[in-house]
Amino acid sequence: MRRRIAIVEDDPVIRANYADVLQKHGYEVTAYVDRGVALAALRSRLPDLVLLDIGLGDEVDGGFKLCQELRALSATLPVIFLTARDSDFDMVSGLRMGADDYVTKNVSLPHLLARVSALFRRAELLREPAPTDSTIERGLLTLDLNRFTVSWRGTAVDLTLTEFWLVHALAKFPGHVKNRDQLMGDAHIVVDDSTITSHIKRIRHKFGAVDAKFDCVDTVYGMGYRWKAAD
Amino acid sequence: MSTNGNPGFTLSIRAKLAIVALVLLVIPWVGYTYVKTMESLLRENQVQAVVASARAVATALQDRPRLIELRAPTVAEGSAAAPRPVSEQIQLLVTALARPGSRIWVIDSRLRLVATAGNFDPVPVALNKDLAFGPLERGVRVVLQFVFERVQNPLAPAAEEVIPDDVVFGGREIERALDGTPSWRWRKSPDGRTAILTALNPVWVGDSVVGAVIVEETTQAIVSLSNRALEQLVAVTLIAFGVGALTLFFFASSLSTRLRKLRDEADNAIDSQGRVRGLVAGEHARDEIGDLSRGFSTVLERLARYNAYLENLAGRLTHELRTPIAVVRSSLDNMKLQVVAPESAVYLARAEDGLNRLETILTRMSEATRLEQTVRGGERESFEANKVLAGCVAGYAAAYPARRFALTRTDQPLLLSGAPDLFAQMLDKLAANAVDFASDDPVEVSLERNDNTAVLHFSNTGPLLPAEMKERLFESMVSVRRERTTREPHLGLGLYIVRQIAEFHGGSATAEDRADGTGVVFELRFPLAD
Repeated sequence: MRRRIAIVEDDPVIRANYADVLQKHGYEVTAYVDRGVALAALRSRLPDLVLLDIGLGDEVDGGFKLCQELRALSATLPVIFLTARDSDFDMVSGLRMGADDYVTKNVSLPHLLARVSALFRRAELLREPAPTDSTIERGLLTLDLNRFTVSWRGTAVDLTLTEFWLVHALAKFPGHVKNRDQLMGDAHIVVDDSTITSHIKRIRHKFGAVDAKFDCVDTVYGMGYRWKAAD
Repeated sequence: MSTNGNPGFTLSIRAKLAIVALVLLVIPWVGYTYVKTMESLLRENQVQAVVASARAVATALQDRPRLIELRAPTVAEGSAAAPRPVSEQIQLLVTALARPGSRIWVIDSRLRLVATAGNFDPVPVALNKDLAFGPLERGVRVVLQFVFERVQNPLAPAAEEVIPDDVVFGGREIERALDGTPSWRWRKSPDGRTAILTALNPVWVGDSVVGAVIVEETTQAIVSLSNRALEQLVAVTLIAFGVGALTLFFFASSLSTRLRKLRDEADNAIDSQGRVRGLVAGEHARDEIGDLSRGFSTVLERLARYNAYLENLAGRLTHELRTPIAVVRSSLDNMKLQVVAPESAVYLARAEDGLNRLETILTRMSEATRLEQTVRGGERESFEANKVLAGCVAGYAAAYPARRFALTRTDQPLLLSGAPDLFAQMLDKLAANAVDFASDDPVEVSLERNDNTAVLHFSNTGPLLPAEMKERLFESMVSVRRERTTREPHLGLGLYIVRQIAEFHGGSATAEDRADGTGVVFELRFPLAD
């Protein structure tokens, strides 16, 4: 069965380009111009993944709204925000609305494809109780590389795909300092330094919510970050 | 402080008003003239009164001719018993006619004193107790009286008891009086301070002059009256002048204070970093200064809006450019997924290269915008600046292998309040800037404690700062790079970010040429957290 991807994007060229590349990679793509059209169509039949722009036509925050509405329809539907907005505020808002990832539009198509397939993998494996063979354990941390899930002290930590990749890049070799470029490469993102900083901040925050004493993500000023092996 | 168009000599408003206040000095002059005029009028009046009084006495004696005539021979004959009653009658008459404060002598034709009455004892002048300024004036007058008494005559001592020689003997007036001509004249009192008015009138009996009446009065009453008037004038003038000058002084002071405040604010309205602050001095005043302040504020507001527009320009550009770049990027990516002719591949690679540079620009611009947002968010923690610096400088060895960094730092912890991530980002920008411009090793970095301030220096050899750019260096999108030395795009945002972060930490950033002219020093000062 071909996986169905819905693109909601008001710019016709971008819409067509994304649709083309996804179709070339074997996905079935339907594209929508604005929130109303998209919602009406998606209500009748949910796709397997949705790529969402935030500003949709006249609706400045149409994407946020649509994301909420989709979440109401399905709690598990993977949603990626793909937008020109790159402020922390928008990113946090987007993720709060229940998106699985947030990507700015200068992401390259291969990077985008990597995300899409990763999310499909995660969604698929979550559906069926898959054998847990590819996990990484670092002290209290457990990374499931197939489902892209993370747990700390046995409690699941709800990370986005980007955050998962960052944690993975750090925890793979504890103690090794990863600079920002390496992290960006590992997490398939092309953003500036401060975006990494805010991703790291969010990761710490999420782990901190599970364990107040969490301090494994260590900043090495001037170099980058490293995963501090827990005692 | 701007001194543009400032002449070397400035006269403050206060000084100008003080000069204007000198006009008030015309008041005492006018008053003095007035008092003097009044005094001369009074004197004229006095002359008339005294002359009239002399005439009256003379007339009274003429009506009783025997009083003098009878007495004359008696005295001449040396009989002491008879004339008494006559003399007493004359004395009574004269005493009755004497005005207070005046003296009357009656002499006969042989210059013998027949009767005398009155004296120069000062007549109590009714003091004008009405004070224009109440207790204040009384106070001033008490002081003034003391001064006046020193300067002016004390009340003249009771004058001589006999007719002065120059009046009686050889006095032309007496001769003229005895010749039958009334006259009057002024003479100085023996102490020389007041004048004495002498009026002479002959006493006719039939066709012959049998004697003369001499009436004398000092001007003391007038003098003391005019003195009192002058005293009051001086007091009132002093008070009026004082009150007026004080009022003017306060008025001028408040004016100059307001203006100075306005000027200071206007001077500082645009700081060295190009940020605009509104004026608050006198913004509600309903006068010209208020107008000036509001006018200034309007101009500044417009400037601020323009500056804000410029500062937001980066953010808006990033946002607006991202969509067309996404179009190009996704189109190129799509094209790469197809089989492309080799000659086209070259162009594809070039297009991609250009796109990457464009994206770098975008990334830089959004970095600045993002930072502004972070700084506004303002989460703070306490961190050791020297540790962050040491880590960063160690990292630069790897990041810039071609340049050597020399670090001087203290071992004592320098605690700053802020965000270590941002602090590191700021150091990165300073390092990148220093490396870009450095012509020789090493880039000197130091962090020292100076009282309650942490002072950070980044110093590199290389071209000096263009003088006109020193102030603007830390503004958004200002760059002093003359030629494109690298393929990296430069937007002049690096030092803008430095400034933003420095200010987030409560600090400030300045750039100067090295003292020996071999390069440039960036100095950043941060208040230590306690």
